[in-house]
Amino acid sequence: MSVFVAVEQVGKEFALAKGDRYIALKGIDLEIKKGEFISLIGHSGCGKSTLLNMIAGLDLPTDGIVALEGQRVTKPGPERMVVFQNYSLLPWLTVRENITLAVDEVLSGLPADERRAIVEEHIQMVGLQHAADKPPAQLSGGMKQRVAIARALAIRPKLLLLDEPFGALDALTRGNLQEQLMRICEEHEVTAVMVTHDVDEAVLLSDRIVMLTNGPASKIGGILEVDIPRPRRRLEVVSHPSYYSLRSELIYFLNQQKRIKKLRARKVSAIARHGLEKVNLEIGFVPLTACAPLVVAKEKGFFTKHGLDEVNLVRETSWRGIVDGIAGSHLDAAQMPAGMPVWLSVGGHQDQPLPVVSALTMTRNGNAVTLAKRFYDQGVYSATDFKRMLLESTEGTHTLGIVHPSSMHNLLLRYWLAANGINPDRDVSLKTIPPAQMVADLKAGIIDGYCVGEPWNLRALVENTGFTIATDLEIWQGHPGKVLGVREDWALAYPNTHVALVKALLEACRYCADPDNHEEIRQILAQREYLSTSVDYIHLGDPNAAVCNLDRPVREYAHHLFFGDGVNRPSRTEHLWMMTQMARWGDIPFPRNWLEILERVCRVSVFSTAARELGMLDIKYHRGPIQLFDGVPFDAEDPIAYLNSQSIKLNFSVAEVALKQPQLIAV
Amino acid sequence: MVTQAEVRRRDANPLQKFWKEKGSDLVLPLIGVVGFLLIWQFLSSSGITRLPAPSSLFTDKRTRDLLFYPFLDRGGLDKGLFWQTLASLQRVAIGYTAAAIVGIGMGILVGSNRKVNQMLDPIFQFLRMIAPLAWVPITLIALPNVQLAAIFVIFITSIWPILINTTVGVQQIPQDYKNVARVLQISPRKYFFKILIPSALPYIFTGLRIAIGLAWLAIIAAEIVMSGVVGIGFFIWDAYQQNYVSEVILAVFYIGAVGLLLDRLMAFLQRKILPADNR
Repeated sequence: MSVFVAVEQVGKEFALAKGDRYIALKGIDLEIKKGEFISLIGHSGCGKSTLLNMIAGLDLPTDGIVALEGQRVTKPGPERMVVFQNYSLLPWLTVRENITLAVDEVLSGLPADERRAIVEEHIQMVGLQHAADKPPAQLSGGMKQRVAIARALAIRPKLLLLDEPFGALDALTRGNLQEQLMRICEEHEVTAVMVTHDVDEAVLLSDRIVMLTNGPASKIGGILEVDIPRPRRRLEVVSHPSYYSLRSELIYFLNQQKRIKKLRARKVSAIARHGLEKVNLEIGFVPLTACAPLVVAKEKGFFTKHGLDEVNLVRETSWRGIVDGIAGSHLDAAQMPAGMPVWLSVGGHQDQPLPVVSALTMTRNGNAVTLAKRFYDQGVYSATDFKRMLLESTEGTHTLGIVHPSSMHNLLLRYWLAANGINPDRDVSLKTIPPAQMVADLKAGIIDGYCVGEPWNLRALVENTGFTIATDLEIWQGHPGKVLGVREDWALAYPNTHVALVKALLEACRYCADPDNHEEIRQILAQREYLSTSVDYIHLGDPNAAVCNLDRPVREYAHHLFFGDGVNRPSRTEHLWMMTQMARWGDIPFPRNWLEILERVCRVSVFSTAARELGMLDIKYHRGPIQLFDGVPFDAEDPIAYLNSQSIKLNFSVAEVALKQPQLIAV
Repeated sequence: MVTQAEVRRRDANPLQKFWKEKGSDLVLPLIGVVGFLLIWQFLSSSGITRLPAPSSLFTDKRTRDLLFYPFLDRGGLDKGLFWQTLASLQRVAIGYTAAAIVGIGMGILVGSNRKVNQMLDPIFQFLRMIAPLAWVPITLIALPNVQLAAIFVIFITSIWPILINTTVGVQQIPQDYKNVARVLQISPRKYFFKILIPSALPYIFTGLRIAIGLAWLAIIAAEIVMSGVVGIGFFIWDAYQQNYVSEVILAVFYIGAVGLLLDRLMAFLQRKILPADNR
């Protein structure tokens, strides 16, 4: 359907005292189709009401254009009726007179009795016949808002604008009014834009939810499509499978905005010291056993040793937080899933190529595929059993949890499934879930299994909610796990800091690899600020010695590899393999300029400098060719042929990815 | 046991009930007034002040006549107090009405137009500081006769509170109502009658109520200075010149009573016209 309301590159500035200007909104692009219900959500002061007022014409944008059906909005008008937050009924008029005033004024072309009929019809529509002759002061808040809605709808607006319409109402009234509004909007095919700060309200009412970032210079942080079918009922909507993921998406966004605000407030300029360009670093991590090198570098003083004496580890609960932190420059560096640097560089995040470089592979292995315990009881011991079970099963879709599209877990799980003849997009459904939530979701039956790093596989095993069906040993022994990632512009601006960071972490990796230190590291990792879990679940070495209560199949775990020959050096071949896999599953197009991208992502030189300065001259680099359990060789010379040779895959595309030329950011 | 007490309370006769509810409302003001008069009486009879005691209203023959025959009319300036008061009230009515019309009109103009406001506000603030009596010489010079001058003094005294309150009232129309009007594109005429006036009305009434008090104050002052007119103000002046002090006191009672009545009248109108939640 064609565009009904178009908001193009709209910005709004307010003049402040002392001649300053406050940029409230910047670069807002939004297209609204006829009959759509759009919610604007964001924190207070993010400019959502301003945006609504600009659509209404009560406020004019300082930049860009708002248009309704191709007509530029320059002043308010009845075809864009507003329902104000505080009702805005005239207290000296009765309910009927309030509505009549609007109807008489706007629909003055109609004969008087027809206008009267419209007024009565709308009083009836909101069920206020008994109060029609009362002044607003004698009505409750909910009734007043019903009058306001009736008044708005009575003049037959093309677009209904609602400014936190139910904000001041109690929960019960709000619920009833939401349903009434939904019913009216559906019956009359009203196009509506609503400002709200209520997450549930937004999900319940909207077709699309526009999330605005915090001001100043707020912009659209994301748009969520609500795929819950209409007509919706409040009590039924909550049991729709999308409901909670939409809700958590919104809450994640709002929390993220709050955190960014906090980070912004704290943000200090780079502190140069010890010949390093920046010693105050914010480094993001996700609580996993694999974060050990970062934690050790901090706790055992390797950062300080290399001059980085103001390092702050920022705990993110999901990889998304890492992505947002790096994309928004709130983090200097981060622990990343191995595929993430390529994924970000090629434009996996919001289709915006963001060059990210990796100079260190921090861990290898440490992952496993876990399935719910009930499959074990049904005799599922291997991938073949699993496939048979999927074919025989009469249950709905089986859902498996992954942590991020670019993580090795996703790629390995998909590879493992596909190699066993299970199409990961058709035969099962994959769902992105933060690592720490996996066990809980498995226990709750929301997912049937997952592929994730330790300690979450072991934990499911110990808690007897799941069992490990495959480990790295069965898929790809020694695959890259987590890498260090920084923005390319950051790496260019702080080259010495980058080397120092790699040095500190490389030393920490060596520390982690020594079995004598394992007990100490387990204790550190278990602390509240890191994994915040029982030390029993954290194992750097072989956990079977400590816990093994499943006799069949006895799994040999692949230990985390933190240090050793060929462990830490970033490998172009591996990044290329991950690139092919992400393209295979449609997460990114396969870049035609893959060589250039690998060049830019994989900073072997930084690693070499660091290793040399640490005196690790004897470290071996070469890992040999990549070969997974199915024995299909990977030809790094011809990745596209490799991709084509895969039998189960999505229709991948090949495209030129234009990276911005590396630029030195102002320091 | 409790029931007995309740029964007794319910059985109490209406007069007793009334006394219980409203008794203190009546008794306390009464005690205040009587006490005040007694102290005055004491001060006068003990000779501390030359001011006649309140009882002189009855003891003095001239004053008693004035008190009991307010409708007396012997022509010229020799009229009963009712006529004197009425003459003053007439002037107030004319001057005050003119002030209300001009004040509300100007107030709406100034309140709804920021530029006009900026232009005129200093003049208003300047003029409103001038005491009613200060206007008297100017008006006597400027205007052809005393009657007109008296009315003008009332006008100029009572216009400021009306004007300024109306201005504020119009400026304070909630943005919500203005937004409603803008979105609905309400015609200016309808905006005036359906939104501007009802919204500013409480302010306008506050102004009117302050103004009526000021107008009444001003007329006394004006009449005292403008000799040779029928009016309660000149009556006081005349009585003072002839040393009929108790007549002065009687006239003062009249002035106070009329002022009180005027204020009550405005309060009554305010209650009648404004809707309950908008006072």
